[in-house]
Amino acid sequence: MTRRTRTGVILAIGLAACALAAPWLAPYDPGRQFSAYPFAPPMRPHVIDAGGSWRAPFVYPMRLVDPLERRYEEDRTRMIPLRWVSGALVRVDGAEPWFALGSDALGRDVLSRVAAGARLSLGVALLGTVIALAVGAAAGAVAGYAGGWADAALMRVADLVLVLPGIYVVLALRGALPLVLSPVQVFAALVLVFSLVGWPAAARGVRGIFIVERSEEYAEAARAVGAGPMRVIGRHLLPASLGFLYVQATVLLPAFVMAEATLSYVGLGFAPPAPSWGAMLQDAGSARGGADAPWLLTPAIAIVMSVLVVQLAAPARDPLLWPADNS
Amino acid sequence: MRFVLRRLFAALLLVFVVASGSLLLAQIAPGDYAAQMGGNPAVQAAERHRLGLDRPLVEQYTTWLRRSLTLDLGDSFQYRRPVLDVVGERARNTAILALVSLVLATTIGIPCGILTGSRRGGLLVRLIRAASLMLVSVPPLITSILLVTVAVRTGFAPISGRLSGARLIVPALALALPLAATLERLQAQAIRDALHRPNMLSALARGIPRRRLVWHHAWRLSLGPILAIYGVMIGSLFSGSFAVEIVTSWPGLGDLMRQALTVRDTHLVAGCAAAGALFLGVGVLAADVAHAALDPRVESETA
Amino acid sequence: MPRALACALLLTLGTACRSSAPSSDDAKTTGPVRGGTLVASLRSEPRSFNRYVDNSAAADTTDALTQARLVRINRRTDELEPWLAERWTSAPDGRTFTLTLRPGVAFSDGTPLSSADVLFSFAVVYDPKLQSPLASGLRVQGKPLQVSAPDASTVVVTLPAAFSPGLRLLDNLPIIPRHQLEPAFKAGTFGDAWGLTNGPGRMAGLGPFVVSDYVPGQRVTLTRNPHYWRKDASGAPLPYLDRVVLEIASGQDAEVQRLEAGSIDLMSQADLRPQDYATMKRLRDRGAVTLTDVGTGVDPNVLWFNLATTQPSRGYLQKQEFRQAIAYAVDRDAIVNSVYLGAAVPVYGPVTPGNRLWYSENAPKYPHDVARARTLLAGIGLIDRNGDGMLDDQSGAPVRFSILTQGGNIRAQTATVIQEQLRQAGIAVDVVPLDFPSIAQRWMSGSYDSIYYGFQASAMDPAMNLDFWLSSGSAHVWHPEQGSPATAWERRIDELMQQQIAAPRIDDRKRLFAEVQKIFGENLPGLYFVAPKVSIATHLRVGGAEPVLLDPKILWNPDTLYVKDGASAPQR
Repeated sequence: MTRRTRTGVILAIGLAACALAAPWLAPYDPGRQFSAYPFAPPMRPHVIDAGGSWRAPFVYPMRLVDPLERRYEEDRTRMIPLRWVSGALVRVDGAEPWFALGSDALGRDVLSRVAAGARLSLGVALLGTVIALAVGAAAGAVAGYAGGWADAALMRVADLVLVLPGIYVVLALRGALPLVLSPVQVFAALVLVFSLVGWPAAARGVRGIFIVERSEEYAEAARAVGAGPMRVIGRHLLPASLGFLYVQATVLLPAFVMAEATLSYVGLGFAPPAPSWGAMLQDAGSARGGADAPWLLTPAIAIVMSVLVVQLAAPARDPLLWPADNS
Repeated sequence: MRFVLRRLFAALLLVFVVASGSLLLAQIAPGDYAAQMGGNPAVQAAERHRLGLDRPLVEQYTTWLRRSLTLDLGDSFQYRRPVLDVVGERARNTAILALVSLVLATTIGIPCGILTGSRRGGLLVRLIRAASLMLVSVPPLITSILLVTVAVRTGFAPISGRLSGARLIVPALALALPLAATLERLQAQAIRDALHRPNMLSALARGIPRRRLVWHHAWRLSLGPILAIYGVMIGSLFSGSFAVEIVTSWPGLGDLMRQALTVRDTHLVAGCAAAGALFLGVGVLAADVAHAALDPRVESETA
Repeated sequence: MPRALACALLLTLGTACRSSAPSSDDAKTTGPVRGGTLVASLRSEPRSFNRYVDNSAAADTTDALTQARLVRINRRTDELEPWLAERWTSAPDGRTFTLTLRPGVAFSDGTPLSSADVLFSFAVVYDPKLQSPLASGLRVQGKPLQVSAPDASTVVVTLPAAFSPGLRLLDNLPIIPRHQLEPAFKAGTFGDAWGLTNGPGRMAGLGPFVVSDYVPGQRVTLTRNPHYWRKDASGAPLPYLDRVVLEIASGQDAEVQRLEAGSIDLMSQADLRPQDYATMKRLRDRGAVTLTDVGTGVDPNVLWFNLATTQPSRGYLQKQEFRQAIAYAVDRDAIVNSVYLGAAVPVYGPVTPGNRLWYSENAPKYPHDVARARTLLAGIGLIDRNGDGMLDDQSGAPVRFSILTQGGNIRAQTATVIQEQLRQAGIAVDVVPLDFPSIAQRWMSGSYDSIYYGFQASAMDPAMNLDFWLSSGSAHVWHPEQGSPATAWERRIDELMQQQIAAPRIDDRKRLFAEVQKIFGENLPGLYFVAPKVSIATHLRVGGAEPVLLDPKILWNPDTLYVKDGASAPQR
């Protein structure tokens, strides 16, 4: 493991932990609306007050001066201290909200929504990857171990899926399901679609490894002492494929994060008010959304960060395998 | 030649499978085109009858299959025109976007890759490497949202209005930048590999300047592996263009397919999917042919 | 370099001066300009140019530009005006009208208009095979009008029942050329006539423009109808414009960007979204657009519950008290402030203050009052039984319902605010954003709890919206097409509306309709929360625009629109 890979893995674990802990980290419930604060800009924490002296971190409260122009003014006369509160990492006391990364059209805290969105967006990609790899590994194992017609049939199907135009297949599959349902159902639907598209590459690789390893001495020896096929596969052959599956995971995971974002953005994935990153980007992508309220682009940064982290965690690969990210 | 013909046949088969598959999927989806006309149920029933949506699913499907064998993909419900015409116009726009992006990505990515692959350090090299590591992690969806934001704020390029060269800047850049980054990384690796070949090492030892070696010989050696990549890259080009087209409202296939899906214009869905598959097939084929032309071993392997 | 800077400064000063001088002054001094091209945007791809088979917004827009009716309701004054018929007389029973066609009117292909064309138009619109979406607007009590033509320039129209709006109905019927369309009608292919490929360049219309070209995905081009009959006050032939170009924009964002860039003059579906207002205000201050405040919108979005299908397990969804509680529980100001950025007013019923003639002040209002909502809910047995802060029904199941709404626009946002507001009142709501086909399908099959949606108003007069008010109507959305009224209050509204449409005096009609609004407000089959303040932006070069609340908000008087740089403007 290189230093780069190690950094990547550590960061990835950190990211997953953040996503899991989102409800305890986020200052507010992702659905909570502060209706007096639409499109509030980020409120910078200060440590120096107007008089120039140092203080514990605090923010100035915001006031909406012109709703249609979305103009806010800081109220410099009052200071609201930031506190550690149980249930949220940092928040402010009192009725006024603190938007560390600004608020969206309905006055919802962007930070809280991005944190909550991590569970949806990363969760769907992760589960999709795991299932795709499991299915792929199983199919590859059967094909590689059994050979014969099972091998031929499975690989034909895998080849067909591999050459299909990915995005159009995802779209068509998604279109066949009821368009929008509850977030849980969308979650399941996306995982299903991702697994269907993602398994063949894993299957091909595992099959290749099995064919090579099957004839290796240790596998022959295991068979000779009477180990059943399950045992040979489980104890000897699958572990040999783990490295490959890890590489494949670092390929699929970013692709699925991007796919979720794209689908939700175009209205075929999670729909608002579900706080998925792609759905949140709809606000930023609209006419002047990103230009007038750049903080709405936060989910884009979250997506890039998670993809980057996974890229770091990926072992240096044969360059010819590289662009398979785009499956 | 037989190799090309066989691949061509496979590509056509693929197009057919994709089109009929997506038609079937779109047909079993809940809701139909007539339902979204809203209002009066009698009007809808009349519309359903006109479009043949009131007939059994199997019958609709077989009718379409029969007609598709004569290259007739039926009429689009919403446009009331042959699907081939509607798709053809949009496919042209997508093809323009894809080609321009590919050329742009190549002209940015390959020289950068040769540079970073042949040199050890230097500010420029570090900068390019950092930028490309960043960019490979940015999906086209996000490059296009960011570029649109920048365009709205600065007005450096139009993002709406008539189709024109200037109008192409934002979508083409959005699509090309991540690809350029991928190309840069691959090209750098390929150059490094090429420079480590024995004949190159001995050439260096003979005192031939490194610069000359890189720009005259090594890059040619690296061409093979890079060309092999292009075939795979075509796929990502088209999936990326889907997002880019929608964000930048470039009237291409992606936008059309989304629209067709949401109004349940099933014939049009099938037509778009077929065009997507056709692009992919032709693109991969072109890359393979180029690869085979450069490296005769390929043909014997694949054929 | 300094010189360039000075020039730039001068230029900015110049624009500043221009913007401070109201543009209408130029118009008064110079008057309308002839010639030139107006560029408008079209939000959706046209499906057909045949208004008789297509009721999309695109068909509506081209219809306004290319067709004409016997009489016109002036959208600004709401007066009935002679149009293709230059005058009419009515029989004492108020049901028979004799209209005289304007002499010298011809279709755009030069063929003169005759009463045969009017008879043909009626025959087509009532054709049972065609099922024209226009037909329901041309029936009284579900029965068609009787039409006859004693001679080539006279049409006699008889209403099947007393109907006080009378000839206003005829504003719904564009007159189409018999000589051109009768073969298709006889052959049963009328639905395909005037389509996207066989329409442009070949349609004979009576409106100021003709569709001359259509480039799919890009634009519809309309050119002046050389045979158009109307003249302006000084006797000069109309329309002023040579051409109207409808640029097809994919989505409202693209439209706003184009307006901002100056590549279009106006949006054919003209109202600005709240989030675009600030941009347009900046443009107005720069002197690039005219921003008109038209008033309070007349077609607010509505939340209705499914009252047609009974749900035994959640009977409370059909209770009047439940709906009243929701009306109290939702803080309308919160919707106004966040979703509409302040550019809306709270409303409580389908008739908004924007409809000045028909709006009744006496309909019930529901100010934000969560305590009152809780009391009403407790009254039907919905209280918090397990201490989780959310209400439960008698069986202990949590009170929960879903709202279907259109995703990706202001409706979904409003539904999200309603969801949050009701959560505070103890009601769990699932917002389900869908596309229109899915909503329509769920609505027709009756498989929904509630829907939040909006309908475009076509007329201010309630007698023209009977489909909504009468229990037998197809737009009686909460329980459409009832054989006989399902509830006592629906029966009462039916009766009042029947009297209302037959009452000859406007004061009686207003009194009866106020009563209807009161009953509606008490029973709340539809819950209304806000009506937007409608603002319309047009490019500064557009003259003669008289924006109104009903669609098409600007293009309803296309023949007197003009562009100030007129013929001198470069072709765009």
